[in-house]
Amino acid sequence: MLSVGCGAALGALLRYWLTSIWKRQRIDWPLATLLINLTGALVLGFLTGHLAADGAAMRFWGVGLLGGYTTFSTFNTELVAMVDERRWGSLVAYLILSYGGGLVAAWVGMQM
Amino acid sequence: MKLTNAISVAVFGFAGGVFRGLLSTAFDANGVLVANLLGCFLLAFLTYYVIERDLLAGWLNAGLGTGLIGAFTTFSSFSTTTIKLTQHSPLLGGAYLLVSMVGGLAMAGLGMTLARRLGRVVDRHA
Repeated sequence: MLSVGCGAALGALLRYWLTSIWKRQRIDWPLATLLINLTGALVLGFLTGHLAADGAAMRFWGVGLLGGYTTFSTFNTELVAMVDERRWGSLVAYLILSYGGGLVAAWVGMQM
Repeated sequence: MKLTNAISVAVFGFAGGVFRGLLSTAFDANGVLVANLLGCFLLAFLTYYVIERDLLAGWLNAGLGTGLIGAFTTFSSFSTTTIKLTQHSPLLGGAYLLVSMVGGLAMAGLGMTLARRLGRVVDRHA
């Protein structure tokens, strides 16, 4: 669990860093979270085909780093904020791009 | 990016990853699903009860929200699990996707609604 935790700490830090860069642009759309989740799904898909599912490398890179880098809670809290602010266009776009894009990215990663 | 915030995100992120790792060791893909749905509730509650009402210091908001809950939930293994389940059984994959989509949004909505109601009650008695 130490390697999962260390990976997750690095992943969370990377996500925090990328999100704070995007927030400085002052554009009220969660592009950083979207890109983080899509790149994370792509790379984890790739690792799934190349690393043993229960090995030490997967624990650090997959479960830890990519698990901590990508986030499901921030994504859904951002969706709920869009519902709350009645930004329906943003909501639909964010839903489709995240779920559609995430599944395509994971699938593409698995083929690589 | 402030250094205190970054340290807080990393330390709390470590804990969030370990909690998720323990859940998935115990319950496999269902462990990640539980972490994801629970995390949606917790983050929305934290955002609308604690962060919006400025109850805690900024470094704690970053640590708890971005670090602990952010790393506790994950989008990457949700995506690969959905693909793997779909290849095995499209029905199972579709169910996993649907439960995650509807459940995630519902849990975050519940967190926000409860946070606002509780906030109003607490403020009235303050």
